Amino acid sequence: MPLVRKASQVAPPAGSPDRADALRALGSGPASARWSAARALADFVDTAPELGRALAAETDQRVRAAIFTSLIHFGDAASVQAVVPYLGAPDANLRSGALDALRAMPAAMGAYLAGLLRDPDPNVRLLACELTLEVPSPATAMLLAEVLEHDPSVNVCAAALDALGEIGGPDVLPAMACCAERFADQPFIRFSVDTVRTRIERSH
Amino acid sequence: MPPAVDDEDCRKIGEFLYRRTGMVLPRHPDYIIRRVIDRMQATATTSFDQYLARLRADFDDEIEHFINAFTINETYFYREEYQLRCLTTDLLAQCIATKPSGAPVRIWSIPCSTGEEPYSIAMWLLDTWPAVDSYDVEIIGSDIDTRVLEAARAGQYGQRALMRLPKATIARYFETIDDQTWRIIADLRQSIGFSATNVVAATEVRQLGRFDVIFCRNMLIYFDDASRRIAAENLYESLVPGGFICLGHTESMSRISPLFEVQRYADAVVYQRPLDPPDV
Repeated sequence: MPLVRKASQVAPPAGSPDRADALRALGSGPASARWSAARALADFVDTAPELGRALAAETDQRVRAAIFTSLIHFGDAASVQAVVPYLGAPDANLRSGALDALRAMPAAMGAYLAGLLRDPDPNVRLLACELTLEVPSPATAMLLAEVLEHDPSVNVCAAALDALGEIGGPDVLPAMACCAERFADQPFIRFSVDTVRTRIERSH
Repeated sequence: MPPAVDDEDCRKIGEFLYRRTGMVLPRHPDYIIRRVIDRMQATATTSFDQYLARLRADFDDEIEHFINAFTINETYFYREEYQLRCLTTDLLAQCIATKPSGAPVRIWSIPCSTGEEPYSIAMWLLDTWPAVDSYDVEIIGSDIDTRVLEAARAGQYGQRALMRLPKATIARYFETIDDQTWRIIADLRQSIGFSATNVVAATEVRQLGRFDVIFCRNMLIYFDDASRRIAAENLYESLVPGGFICLGHTESMSRISPLFEVQRYADAVVYQRPLDPPDV
């Protein structure tokens, strides 16, 4: 039989760096060391701020992914605060990494939704509409209703309507009508409002 | 009278499940509706919206129950044979491209359950890969469940597990225990290594070293987002640069982690650890 069983040939794994070594490597080592550091820091829940700050300078996608994973693993308010600033990052990779990370921390992220939906950057507000799907509730739907009534960006309102198609109830119908009026010159908003209203009326 | 579920409900539940797990439901509304109704009856929910709310809240682990309703929990030899074809047609050719003759080729099956997958890989290689004699092929099967590992080591199976195997393969690699039971021959049993390993535990995974190909089918869908990402990073570390990972046909690594590159071959879609960039 040409197959072999030689598990004993495997070299013993290197030990994980301790907290101080990992923090040092995260800020100044080569990419392989930064990757190992970001992963090792998952064992130290108080390092969310340092991990968040490291994202600002990190250009290696592999290391970024490991930083986001450690923050998701913590899943607490400090981790959400560490990630939120990157929701508006000009770098699409960093922005989508932040979005995925926030999606994966719904319990802690929910408390930040109201603020994100009022962010000065319409791109952040648009992504915040997507995040509402992770914490569906009547209260979340009402946050989206406020967007429909007041947000000046038609794209943000379209994203809010999409989300309400999933989590909306009859309570948001007046805000949808208000949105249709505010953007009466945008046929796709009217179409979207009609589609979502039909969906809500069928399911409630 | 069973509760009512329509095509629009299937769409809603499909979207929810995809967002939550990356899992795509089959495109057969009747099949989905039957299983949704089964779950609604099992949970005593009387309307679809009530059930969807239960699912969204993951009340009493309903997401897991729902996924289980769509998953074939039994396994058998040569399951998803197209990936085995891809292994010998495309993946191993790339793996050995830069290896000298006699070098190790390491393949990992996790979760290996009762052993059907690692034994299938071994039989498939022995029967279809001409280079099998030229390399030190090492196959490891791992699972978190030590009971299934005992069964895997014993290598004893019923008729159903053998249903996809050609008669000649059964004759070559099994011995008959009785008219309902077969056992993998000792040579083959002894050539597979088994280990109790939790894929989310980095230290356990690192003990096994690096592999050229990993089969990790129908496991990640059961994890939450955080565990799934950690598992993906552990699997990444377990691959040699340029190594491959094969997932189940409803799974997508792209939904879990940006670390891997998608590779489309004639027989299967697999994920590859890119070659390491310069370490700066």
